[in-house]
Amino acid sequence: MMESILQLIVSGVAMGFIYALVGIEYTLVWNSTGLLNFSHDKFIMLSAYIFAGTFVVKMGLPPAVGVIASLLVMFIFGMLVAVGIFNPLRSMASPIFAVMGTVVLGRIISEMVRLIWGPIPFTLPNYLTGTYQLGNIIIGRVNVWIIVISSLLVAALQIFFKTTKTGKAMRCVQQNKKAATLMGIDVSKNIVFTIVLSSLVCTVIGMLVIPLFTVDTSMANMIGLKGFSSGVIGGFGYLPGVIAGGVFLGVLENFSTIVLPAVYKDCVGFVLMIIFLLVRPSGILGHRKNLR
Amino acid sequence: MKKIKIALMVLVFVLLIAFPMLDGNLYHQQLMNQVFVNIIVVMGLNFITGLTGQMNLGTAGIFALGAYASALMCTKLHTPVWIGFPIAILVGFLIGRGLGYPSLRVKGVYLSLTTIGFSEVVRLILTNAIDFTGGSQGVQNIPFLNLFGFEFNTPFKIYYLYFGLAIILAIAAARVVSSKWGRVFKAIRDNSDAVEACGIDVANLKILAFTMAAIYGCIGGFLYTHMMGYINPTAFNQDLSVNYLVMMMIGGIGSVAGNILGAVMVTLLPEILRFMQNYYWLIFSIITLIFAVFLPNGIVSLFKKSERQEKHFNIFHSIKKATEVWGGRLAK
Repeated sequence: MMESILQLIVSGVAMGFIYALVGIEYTLVWNSTGLLNFSHDKFIMLSAYIFAGTFVVKMGLPPAVGVIASLLVMFIFGMLVAVGIFNPLRSMASPIFAVMGTVVLGRIISEMVRLIWGPIPFTLPNYLTGTYQLGNIIIGRVNVWIIVISSLLVAALQIFFKTTKTGKAMRCVQQNKKAATLMGIDVSKNIVFTIVLSSLVCTVIGMLVIPLFTVDTSMANMIGLKGFSSGVIGGFGYLPGVIAGGVFLGVLENFSTIVLPAVYKDCVGFVLMIIFLLVRPSGILGHRKNLR
Repeated sequence: MKKIKIALMVLVFVLLIAFPMLDGNLYHQQLMNQVFVNIIVVMGLNFITGLTGQMNLGTAGIFALGAYASALMCTKLHTPVWIGFPIAILVGFLIGRGLGYPSLRVKGVYLSLTTIGFSEVVRLILTNAIDFTGGSQGVQNIPFLNLFGFEFNTPFKIYYLYFGLAIILAIAAARVVSSKWGRVFKAIRDNSDAVEACGIDVANLKILAFTMAAIYGCIGGFLYTHMMGYINPTAFNQDLSVNYLVMMMIGGIGSVAGNILGAVMVTLLPEILRFMQNYYWLIFSIITLIFAVFLPNGIVSLFKKSERQEKHFNIFHSIKKATEVWGGRLAK
């Protein structure tokens, strides 16, 4: 009993870190542009396809090279999307058009993926598979990798935001765009940078979740939604809150399988989101600033 | 101008009345019925997303619940088919209140998050509760609508019924848009703080708009079920929700005429653009994205003179503005 609980906790934390990363990635965009990127799950899916479909399966590169190459490709992609779509959309008359723009962008990405890589799902053999054994506890290799890489990434992002000049400028833009402009910060450039950063985080998520799901056009739908839920649970638009909410949701969701049939595991995030909206809209960490 | 408008409307009306008699193709008639269903759903979506400015990404879930409620009532409980209509309205009301209250009570973008989750959860439950909903097999042998013993069992008969219903609901929607409620909805979209300062309960009116959207969506689902005779959960996915949004945006956000135009176009275009085969959705989505940036108010804004009574049409104005915005960004 003890072992199975521990295993549930470990895989829950691993899944929770994925939700937390999704949360971070869209919260960055939300804070800097005031737009919710509804195509973020498609970004994740696209990066998984670029990494697995093109670099590893088609070109036969070793995964380490593939990681760098896909990060580069998604860097360029993020830049194009930011300059061509997000920056013009941000200054539209009503945010509703901008949201529509991101929704339609998601559809364009998934159609392109379907046309380029074909509609048949596939997997990557021998990539982050296998298990580690610690006493009686068996932990999937992918879970360990997810936890290690995500915590490193979260720590790196924190250091980036706290110490570097660009990071500080980004936080400044997130808090007050007008004041940032007055301080001589180029808001448009900053937004481009934020979206590139967010698409890089998406790439990391996409590469990490390949062993958990098969690579197909709807692979990231659920984690995209649960990223939103974890944002509401932890405190919307607040990075530490999103991380807390993501891990909380991941663990709770795993424990729900003890009581509920496993197919309804995906409902937990939604129900929790509604409960939090009713009872505590400011989230676990109670951050009120971004409730506008 | 007004005379031309009325003449055009009468002409379209007469053409629509005559259409099934002139064109005996059952498939075309079925397609037109689908257009009427879509028009109803899009007009509903217009209340919450178009007028009030709250993103609703869960139309598929609402539509699916309306469809399944009526289908399961008919096939499992063998109730008369028309009972499905009040049931659809009730289901819509419950969704609107139940989902609207938690997400619209607090200011923010929560409605888009809860509705997108709602529609996925609905699809999950419909697929997995096999004993109750038939799972991915769907519900089969759903009876056609009948009124006083007259059964609407061919696309030809359904056409006139749905045509009439669509007209009634369109008139209702147009009345709402130009009523006190409609003006408040628009005001909430433009500046919700100002509305609140006028002593209007913003949260309550947003929930009202969402409830109306849900009711229209459920009525659409009800009509769809009894037209198709068979439903399964795979049809009610995220793509459907996006489709309805695209219909609303292509036609014109906030105007009933625009909604109708958009629904007609987006439903019929796949048939016209069949020759593009695989590339159809890609090209169509790119067109939509261009619309979102250059002509955000949809096709109807082409026919309206711009606010300042300028001589040139709105499109030139909006293109000029969009290029300014776009060019300005690029220049930096």
